[in-house]
This record gives sequence, C-alpha cells and structure tokens, in this order.
Amino acid sequence: MKSMKARLISFSRALVRDPIRTFGMVSFLLLVALAIAPAKDHFSEWRHYQQQYLRLIHDRGDAVTLQRHFQGGIRQIWLPDLGVVDRCQSCHTGLDEASLVDVSTQPFRRHPPIPHRLDEFGCVVCHRGQGAATTVAEAHHSTLAREEPLLPARYIEASCGQCHHVALPGTPKLNEGRELLARYGCVRCHSIKLPDSSTMTATDQPPPLTHIGDKTSREWIYAWLKDPASYAASATMPNFQLSDADARDISAFLIANSEPLPADIVPVAATKSSSAPDPAAGSSLYGESFCASCHAVQNAAGNLVGGDLGPELTRVGSKVKPEWLQAWLRDPRTYDSHTLMPRYRWTEPQLTLMNAYVQSKTDPDLMANVHLDPATSEQIAHGKALVTEYGCAVCHEIRGIQKPENFAPELSRIGSKPLAQLVFISGMQQTLPDYIAAKIHRPRAFGTALRMPQYTFSAEQVDALTTALLSYTDRSFTLPTRLQIPSPSIATYQPAGHAGKLMTELNCFACHRINGRGGDMAPDLTWEGTAVQRQWLDDFLKNPNTLRPALIRRMPKFNLSDSDRAVLTDYFMTVYQTADIDRDSMPLSGYSTALVEQGRQLFYSKYSCQSCHMVNAAQDKGYIGPPLTQVGSRLTAPWIFHWLKNPQALRPGTIEPNQNMSDEDAGALTAFLMAQKTSPTREAKR
Amino acid sequence: MPDGKGGYFERLERTRVWRSVFRSGTGSSTLHRALAIQQNLFLHLFSTKVRRRMLGFRATWYLGALTLGTFFILVITGILLMLYYHPSVPQAYADVKDLKFVVSSGMFLRNLHRWSAHAMVLLVFAHMFRVFYRGAYRPPREFNWVIGVILLLITLLLSYTGYLLPWDQLAFWAITVGSNISSAVPVFGDKARFLMLGGHQVNANALLRFYVLHCVILPLAAVLFVAVHMWRIRKDGGLYVRQSEPARESEPQPEVPATDNKEVLVGKR
Repeated sequence: MKSMKARLISFSRALVRDPIRTFGMVSFLLLVALAIAPAKDHFSEWRHYQQQYLRLIHDRGDAVTLQRHFQGGIRQIWLPDLGVVDRCQSCHTGLDEASLVDVSTQPFRRHPPIPHRLDEFGCVVCHRGQGAATTVAEAHHSTLAREEPLLPARYIEASCGQCHHVALPGTPKLNEGRELLARYGCVRCHSIKLPDSSTMTATDQPPPLTHIGDKTSREWIYAWLKDPASYAASATMPNFQLSDADARDISAFLIANSEPLPADIVPVAATKSSSAPDPAAGSSLYGESFCASCHAVQNAAGNLVGGDLGPELTRVGSKVKPEWLQAWLRDPRTYDSHTLMPRYRWTEPQLTLMNAYVQSKTDPDLMANVHLDPATSEQIAHGKALVTEYGCAVCHEIRGIQKPENFAPELSRIGSKPLAQLVFISGMQQTLPDYIAAKIHRPRAFGTALRMPQYTFSAEQVDALTTALLSYTDRSFTLPTRLQIPSPSIATYQPAGHAGKLMTELNCFACHRINGRGGDMAPDLTWEGTAVQRQWLDDFLKNPNTLRPALIRRMPKFNLSDSDRAVLTDYFMTVYQTADIDRDSMPLSGYSTALVEQGRQLFYSKYSCQSCHMVNAAQDKGYIGPPLTQVGSRLTAPWIFHWLKNPQALRPGTIEPNQNMSDEDAGALTAFLMAQKTSPTREAKR
Repeated sequence: MPDGKGGYFERLERTRVWRSVFRSGTGSSTLHRALAIQQNLFLHLFSTKVRRRMLGFRATWYLGALTLGTFFILVITGILLMLYYHPSVPQAYADVKDLKFVVSSGMFLRNLHRWSAHAMVLLVFAHMFRVFYRGAYRPPREFNWVIGVILLLITLLLSYTGYLLPWDQLAFWAITVGSNISSAVPVFGDKARFLMLGGHQVNANALLRFYVLHCVILPLAAVLFVAVHMWRIRKDGGLYVRQSEPARESEPQPEVPATDNKEVLVGKR
C-alpha cells in the first residue's frame, strides 16, 4: 500500500518535473478525447441499422430495386408548417417499400397502407415520440426531460381524431370513445372545446329531478345512489361511492325539494281494481308498440335485449309509482319536455294494460335492505350541501340549485398534457395514456377527496375513451390551413305547423334524419315524398308493418288519429321532395308485359338482384336488402328508376351497388318492380 | 533543439515581414526579451520579468492560467455552438436536439462547453481560495482582489445565463426559480426580475435576453476585466510571493536568489 503510494508520487513527480513528458502525456489524452467524438458519430445506431437493412435486402429477388431506392445517411421529413422534423426513416428505411410486406423485424417493417402520404404528414404527427432523435431510446421514449414518448399502437386512432372530428369508417375505437364521452355525459362536467370553437355536447338524457317525488320513492333513490348498476346494468349514472348517511341525506333532500306536478296525480286505482290486467295482452302491446326499439330489458342470461335510446326497464316496477307511470305513458312531455319518448296515443284500457305490464318488471331484492327513517331538517340541509358539492345539478335539473359552470377540468387539450403536470399514483406506468386510462378506470384511486365518480366501463370501453381523449391535442388547434377539415354545420331543422308539432311529439328525429338533423337508426326521410306513394305512407303510419324483418328495432305504432295521420302524410308528400326527380314523370302502373318480362330477365340474370332482394317470397332467398314483393305499391317509378341508375346519389353510403345501368335496363327493371303490387286479397284485408 | 529547425526559424525572424510585425528584433539580451513582452498588445499586460520560481507549479498551482484556459475553450466552443443555435421559442430546443443527433461531433462540442463551464467555476473558486489563504489580496493588491470578485460574479452570471439556453424543462424551471429569488430582494427586487426576464415570466423575451447576456455582454465584460486583472498583476509588483517563505530544496534554484526588489528574467532553457 505504502509502496504503491510512493510509486504514484514518484510517477506524478516525474510527470510534472519533465515538461516534455507532461506535454506528451497531455497531448496523448487530448488526442484520445478528440478521437472519441468522431468514433461515436461513426458507430451510431442508425448507421448500424442501415447496414443491417442492406444485408437484409441483399439476398432478395428485388434487391436491385430496393438498393436503388435506398438512400444512406440521416434521412428526415421536414414540414415547417407542422413543426415536424422526423428522422425516423434513418432507421426505418423500408417504410415505403411495398415489396417488404413479408418482413416482420423492426425497424425494417413496411408501413401498413394508410390514406395519407408519409412525406406529407411525417411520423410524429400520428405516432408521437421524438422525431428529431436518431437513437432508439431517445426517439421512442425519451426519459430525461419527460418528453412525449411514442403513442402505444392500440391508441393510434387518437391521431386520426386530431384532424377528423366526425366519425371515420376506419376508426371504430375512436368513434366508440367519442360516443361514450357523449353518451355517459363526460362532457357535461369536463367541457371539450373543438377547434371550430364549438363544444362537444352530451347525448345522455339525465332526467330533471324537479318533480322526482311524483315519480319514485325515497327508498329507490337511496338504492340508486348507492349503486346505479344494481338497478340497471346499462345505467349511465355513475356510482359516487356515497356513504349510507350521504345517500340517505341526498335522497331526503331530493324528495323534500320535489315539487308535485298536478297533471301527474291521476288515480289509477279505479281501473286497476276492476280486473287484473292480462299479462299476455300487456306483453303483446309492449311488443307491437316496439318499446324494445328504445328500451332494453335484461334477459335470463343477463344480456340486455333492446335499444339504448331510453332507459333500461328490467326493474322499472320497483322504481316508478303507478300513477306517475300512467300519466307518463299518456303524455311524457307533461313531465319532461325534452324527453325522447314519443307520445303514443293509447286508449285508457291500453294505458292501464301497459302500466300493469311495465310495473310487473320488479326486483324484490333491490330495496330489501333499505329502511329509511323520516328525514330530519338537518339531513335535508346536509343533502343539499352534498348535491352542490357533487355537482348533481351539472346533469340534472334540481329546483333551487344553480347549474355549476366548469365543474371539472376542461379536457380540450388533454391529449397534449405534459407529463410534468401529471400526478401519478405509485406503481403505475408513468405515461399519459396510462394516466388517462387509470383515471377513467378508478378515479378515486388518485385521492379519496376527489369527486369524480366510479363508472362501470369495460376494459375495451376504457381503451376507447382513452383513445378519444388522446385525440384532443394542441395540434388540433394549430393545424395549418392545408390540413384543416371544415366542420359539418349543426342542423337545427325544425318543421313548422301542426305537422311539426306532431313530429316533435312522436320524436321522429330520435331515429330518422331529415335535412341533416336527427338520428341514424332509421332511414333518412328528406326525400320521402318523392320516394313513396301517398297511400302506402298513410297505411304505414296507421300500421307500420316492417320493411326489414331481420331488424329488432322497428317503427312503433303511434295510434294516430285519422286527421293527424292525414296532416303528417300530406306534409311529407308535399315538403320532403327532391327537386331533381319529378314524382309524376312516370306512371305507377300500365307498363307493357313485354317490358315487365324484359325487366324480370334483367333482375334474375344480368344483375342477379335476387342475391339480396326477394320478389317472389317462395322462391328468392335474398335478405340483405329489403324485400321487394310489394315494392310497386310502395315506391314511385321515377324514384326506382333514379335509384337503379345511382343509388349513392339518393342515399350516400348505401350498400346497394351502382351498376352503371343504361336507361333502357333501368326502365325495364322499373317496369318489372312497379308490377310487384300488394295482392288484392291483402289489400282487402287491410 | 535541432539546429536545422532553429536555423529556419532564425532566418524567418530576420525577414522584413517578420521585422515589420515584431519590432523587438532578434537577440536574446535582457532588453530584447523585455521588449518582446512590452511591445506586444497581448503580452504587455503581463510583467516583463517574472521570478523563475513563480513559474513552477507550486507557486500558483496554475489556477489563474487554467481559469483563463477554460475561458478560451468556452469562447471557441461557444462560437461554434452559436452557428447552430437560434435564441427563439421553440426552435432553441430543436437546435439543441440537432446538435445532439445530427451535427457531427455536436454532442462533443456541447459537452466540452458544459464541462469547461463547470471547470471554470470550480477553478475560479480554487483560485480565490488560494489567493485568500496566501494573503495575496493584501495591499497593494486589494484592488485586483476586487476585480477578481467582479470576475467571479461575471463567471457565475455566465453560468446562470447559459443554463436557460437549451430551453428544456430543467432550464425553464431553474431560471424560474432563480429569477424568483431575485424578486425577493426588497424595494427593487421585482424590478430587477422584470429587467432580467424582459417580462413577468420566463418566455421568449427572457430567452433572448439571456442569450444576448451570455454571448455578448458578459463575455465582453469578462474580457475587459480579465485584461484589467492581468495588467494589475504587473502594476502591483508581479505575482505575490511571501517574504518569509523559503525556497524548497526540491525546487530548481533560481539563477538569482529571489528577493522582493530584485526581479529575475527567465531565459530559455
């Protein structure tokens, strides 16, 4: 040890004392240091990958072409208006090579086909990460400064959503996520502003609680608040994880705060006592009114059967009061002027039948353990404080409580939130997607004092929601004009007059779209007056026999009076026409037998329409398109003619193929189809 | 030294061009050597005569010279870095990334600049400690001590202003914290902060201001004060040597015994 020290000292003395040796030593060190820098440049990762790529393509059949395409050195895509400098292609050399379809090793895999050019958009616009970097670690997941890492592939659709704010066919996950944001009312608390300065709107239907005391009991409210999912599997109301006392106080406040609605108090006891309604009759009324088009019921296997426009009815009998239900079925708008529920014009006996049938859907377990003592004024006051604290009034209309603005953080740019601003919980992956997913999955895990409630989303739904939220980035707001997509205008179309009033009452727009407004569950009716015959429309409104038997969701029977029906039919026939087609330019009947026969030949042989449609129900098997057995009594000849010529022009997106038919063929087919009339016997029956 | 090379050099020294530039002329007399120092713009800052033992490692540990050396490295690498750097948001950060990822030896350049800066701060402190503990700040050198303190401040400010330029999170928050400290100064603290940042928060204005300070104002000030510092060494009687300090056995003995009033010119070996 000592000799070592002595030797070191003598060595250093020798170094210091002899200037030539010192100089030589220092020079050598400097030389080594200077050599390290270019050596590091030379043995860089990207050079290594480029050599690997050259070896890879060397033995391939198309080596010459690939080698000609290959450019060595650092390759970059530079898009000043997007702020993109992407050097990814320095390692990902074969992105554009279609012939590398069989290569599965990264970084040489070919990019899957997308509708955009790589050199127009770069890489980080969609994949995120650090495009400027030329090392794998720094480009994919920069760790030092907590810069944005690569977006995991399962959220990649979020990137489409930065520019595209309407649903695209190629982005099912993103579309689902955005729908969930609207359907579960996320955007009621968390506002999301879009680049066109509009705000996302929720599509859920949180009922007003102004008259809640008329509708249901305090016990039900308590059970619902404690766990909405135990009442309805499809509940969009989240679980606020309230303590028993808090649920008790909120239910006390809501009942005490409720204002009785005079129109709701209709005694049903008189009709009820006379005779027990027949459950089979109720079930068939429920069926023929197509309640299931909007309302779902859980079947024995626990699956929901039915639509999701209205609330689930599995246990509704445990919830609603009979008098209220009777009034609701009679005219829903008295209770809630914004409801989607149409006004069926049932007779009093039908109402009672329906009431009894719906009431029979109960669950005795739901409120078995709920025993509430009469509310005290302290409980009511505390309930009011809780209702304010939890922001109930953001969604529900509650008497005496102002709707709070900006109740929760705005999420317009959540997809670009810097990691430095996130507070992670221990044990989680420290990335933005993981943070968002964890927040949706278990909000209260981030702190018990948080007010965000617990939803019952499946893993797929959490993924979809995360994808949707990741699409709201800074880039959405800073797109160059060449990439901006004009936003579709929001249709506020509202028909006028008595017909308009009827259409509001029947909520036609919940399913049908007219002039750009309305749902997409049922056909667009904008040109219905040109398409169909008056008699058929009148019959259909009277008794909507189904056009497509394969569908579960169907047009309900609204029991309109003759005069109301006439008003609606007249309005449709007069107003909903297209200027491009003259409804009366071709006759409804009287086509020559030869022409009809020619059309039949074309139908069965040249165009093979029977693959999808039926004309002869006994013989044809096509069920993809609507059956055409009575099409001659339904549609007008000019409509059929133009439809055959170019279906997409009349209904964009229809799967009916455009066959580029000649006028002659289309005319013959029209004649054939117009000959398919309702049989006289059925006519008589109707 | 081999004669051949010396011969070339001597011939070069005799040319007219050489003589027009270096007027002191050839020859190795004391006068010639003194003139060589005195008539050179850069060298005239230094003493024309130095005690031989002051040139040894023990006398100063070369701390001042090393500090100056790191400063030269910083100037050279800094100028090279300026070729790649825009003081604008957010281009500054992109430029730093370019230096890291695509500029040949760019990372080497940055690292050299960075480590030299660290070394310079350390060396300045070491230099000052040594001057302080050896008592070299005492009259007549008290003014040069003050200059030294100013140079310390300039060094620290150079270091601080350079910190913001990469424009990353570390830089941003370090400068945010640092500038908030200055606003804690009573009366004019907030004004000072406003002046420094060119606004109320660290943004593009602050970046530009720090850039100008780092690349123009502070280096110029440093050059000026270094010049004064060197010049004062000469004027204050050369490098400080303690009177009572005996020459060590192991040190090469000076040709003339070192005393306070007798300076010795060091010749070539």
